[in-house]
Amino acid sequence: MLLTPSDAKVVTDRLLARSKANHCIVRLRGGERINLRFARGSATTNGDQSDLSVTVESHFGHRSGAASVSSLDEQALVSVVARSEEIARLAPENRELLPPVGPQTYPAGAGYDAATAAVRAERLAAVSKPVIDEAVSRAIDVAGYCMARRGFDAMATSAGQFAHDARTGAEFTVTARNKSGTWSGWAGRSNTRFDALDTASLGRRAIDKAAYTVPAVRLEPGKYTVILEASAVSDMVAWMMWWMNARDADEGRSVFSRRGGGNRIGEKLFQDGVTIFTDPGDPVAPERVFGDDGLPQRRTVWVEGGILRNLIYSRFWAQEKGREPIPRPSSFVMAGDTTTVDEMIRTTRRGVLVTRFWYMRLLDAQKLLVTGLTRDGNFLIEDGRIAAPALNFRFNESPLAVLANVLAIGPSERTRGGENEDSVVSAPPLLVKDFNFSSASEAI
Amino acid sequence: MDRRRFLQHAGCALCTPAADRLFFRVTDAAAAVAYENLDPAARLKLADMALDLARRAGASYADVRIGRTEHEFLRARDRRLEELTSNLTVGFGVRVLLDGSWGFAGSERVEEAEIQRVVGLAIENAKAARLIQAIPITLESVPAYREDWRTPIRIDPFSISTDVKASKLLTINETALTAGASYCTSLMSLVREEKLFASSRGSQIAQVRVRTAPYFEVTAVDRQSGRFASRASLAAPRGEGWEYIDQYDFLTEAALAVQEVQTKLGAKPVTPGRYDLVLDPTNLWLTIHESVGHSTELDRAVGWEANFAGTSFVTPEKLGTFQFGSPLMTVVADRSQAGGLSTVGFDDDGVRSIGAEFPIIKDGVFQNYQMAMGQAALIGRGQSNGCAYGDSPASFPIQRMPNISLQPNPKPTSLDDLIAGVENGIYIVGDGSFSIDQQRYNFQFSGQLFYEIKNGKRGDMLRDVAYQGRTPDFWNAMDGLGDASTYHLGGSLFCGKGQPQQIAPVSHGAVPARFRQINVLNTERMDF
Repeated sequence: MLLTPSDAKVVTDRLLARSKANHCIVRLRGGERINLRFARGSATTNGDQSDLSVTVESHFGHRSGAASVSSLDEQALVSVVARSEEIARLAPENRELLPPVGPQTYPAGAGYDAATAAVRAERLAAVSKPVIDEAVSRAIDVAGYCMARRGFDAMATSAGQFAHDARTGAEFTVTARNKSGTWSGWAGRSNTRFDALDTASLGRRAIDKAAYTVPAVRLEPGKYTVILEASAVSDMVAWMMWWMNARDADEGRSVFSRRGGGNRIGEKLFQDGVTIFTDPGDPVAPERVFGDDGLPQRRTVWVEGGILRNLIYSRFWAQEKGREPIPRPSSFVMAGDTTTVDEMIRTTRRGVLVTRFWYMRLLDAQKLLVTGLTRDGNFLIEDGRIAAPALNFRFNESPLAVLANVLAIGPSERTRGGENEDSVVSAPPLLVKDFNFSSASEAI
Repeated sequence: MDRRRFLQHAGCALCTPAADRLFFRVTDAAAAVAYENLDPAARLKLADMALDLARRAGASYADVRIGRTEHEFLRARDRRLEELTSNLTVGFGVRVLLDGSWGFAGSERVEEAEIQRVVGLAIENAKAARLIQAIPITLESVPAYREDWRTPIRIDPFSISTDVKASKLLTINETALTAGASYCTSLMSLVREEKLFASSRGSQIAQVRVRTAPYFEVTAVDRQSGRFASRASLAAPRGEGWEYIDQYDFLTEAALAVQEVQTKLGAKPVTPGRYDLVLDPTNLWLTIHESVGHSTELDRAVGWEANFAGTSFVTPEKLGTFQFGSPLMTVVADRSQAGGLSTVGFDDDGVRSIGAEFPIIKDGVFQNYQMAMGQAALIGRGQSNGCAYGDSPASFPIQRMPNISLQPNPKPTSLDDLIAGVENGIYIVGDGSFSIDQQRYNFQFSGQLFYEIKNGKRGDMLRDVAYQGRTPDFWNAMDGLGDASTYHLGGSLFCGKGQPQQIAPVSHGAVPARFRQINVLNTERMDF
């Protein structure tokens, strides 16, 4: 279910008026998602899912509790306020609990597209069909996912804050495999606008990669120069973004901890060209207009010219450290440069082109070492050209090492990671030296 | 005005239903009956209405799930309760088969008008899918059941006061901090999932599943060296009531975990190489999940999940012949095991699952895939074996794992017996980092605690250990297995699969096992 700002305000006002707590925070979230899947060139599952949650957080002194329901019925709303107050009264005191924020000024959101909000299943099937047709004509199997969603977040506090943010999103991802199962390719994109997804072009890209007839070569594990396409870069940087919490760093349990105490803000950690930011007004990967604490999301530069500029500061930790709070972002933009993937290939004597990553998991928090695998489009580059498909690798590598070893940066584009559904990310392809492939994988 | 016309005329598509029906509809009693007010008969009436609408629209098959899920979550960080939430979600989903195409839609509003709208959407989606339906969906017949089932529990976790739960967590943290931990975080997740399934074949099945998941993690920090280490609880999530949390000795484990994490911080780094491994069941359950559970899912093997979860190296021609592991290896799938997170009477296709155990691997040989309705014919078999699950009533049910467990050695064998047979090896306890490729060949797993084994005896603790292997090579290298007295039921609440991704709870029973000459890595990076 979706609510307009005025409808959401009516709901939050009614709930706040009913509250008997010292402080009260109301969060509304809802949306609708339509999707269609296909595999082996034929439709499999689909769905249109509507959802809604109404969460009431009550504070009594330093005690707090939250309750949620998925309904706007009067009885459910009366009950959710009562339930949150009941559990808040029973909760032990939390000395770090802060009163909710008051009125704020929010930036205009850039994440909603009315045409995307109106997409129906018929359209999903229509844009998938040319991809399936091309696969059939080239004797390749394709499996894909096409999705459009619309949703909203709203938040109001007893201190007078109210925020509403509407978002749309669209995704198309496709995996192509040859009939003998000996090679595969992938392409995928997400966007605020469904109309911006060129599904035929994405399908062709995946099929072109899968259609290589040269047998895949088996390379020895080791350190390689790699060209990481934007999807792979987005996954690698997303791991780092998740760990950019100032408190963990200050407490000595993060890769961003400084030996002896404090954190590494101000240190030059990465290559000069590395700049990462979030911005609610970014036209490609817009950040939400407000954070989970109700504060406005502002343009925040996390890394600038290779220097760590900011970490996430909760309201409590910011108060402790005498800084401005910085909410956790839900998106990021890694700034691009001008070197295209083709140019990166031309300048590489020996290396590996990586299409996407898979099953990335933390291996060692001390250095933010992450393991994962390459998948669906790994190629050996020799003497400035693609020489052959190359069997997949497992890697054990850190995003900090990757961003320190950057040799060239391509144009930043809205992309879609291997496992990060609904992500809002813009990232460039990267040419990186000394990437650590730790073992071979025969999986296709 | 139907929804599409409203969207076209409203100018902004943000507001879906008409504003006067959006909220506080208590006066519109006929259209806005809160789910909480629905007795079983009223739910059945709504389900019948959905099935009747689907039938009249031409569906050859239809099913409906109406559900209600309570979820209580608490998290304590050191000496304060950081999060306390109580969530109640209701919803329903309707699935229709029309001219060989599936159509599905779901919503959080369990009321007559919404059921009419959602059935219409499901029909519309099925009609849309026909454009790319090169291979029609066909279903086998499934018997109709009219039964109830519920997780056997002794104490309902939702009958326990919130302050008792909060106190439990804060006591764990206090114990760990007093014992010398730098930090301790603990949490508790409690779920009660109630679901009514009804199908056009005449089934009406009401089920209630309960899950309890306690967890803590202690961290030790050495500010001088800049090193830190953590050790997570070995307590597994379970399909049990509050009695599970009540009986588990968290305080002893928390104090022990602090000693262990402090030892781990100064432990000897492992020298990479090939070692004989003895894997504790608290570690091996996850290796079973990733390498055996996911590789034997039929939808993966035939390419239906190729775009995200992946395919499988266990291709259909291997049925009945492939030597997956050593002859000691027998793996059974069940939805009956006490405490199992996948234990349930009927799956989300309405197929009877309790008491319908089947071997996946017997004496090392691959025997059976896990299947949902509509898949068995793909490999020339007749029936689903009851492996469908949707993570909410509004999610399309797909093939998901039952409990999948490594069977104990019938010969008396202890953990010490297994260790005694190792000259130079490592004993690994608890699950840690985990990753496996999209066909389930190349895996890499870590753990919580690692101990040297020298000349048949457990020795000093090691750190920075991960083992990496190729699934069939690894399982064929197994030459020792604990007996039933060493059995442990591990599990996860967060097994992901499908697009949009769904999460499923699943348990895996295991015994300690010994594997010869497995590749071991040192995970510490020193070069940056």
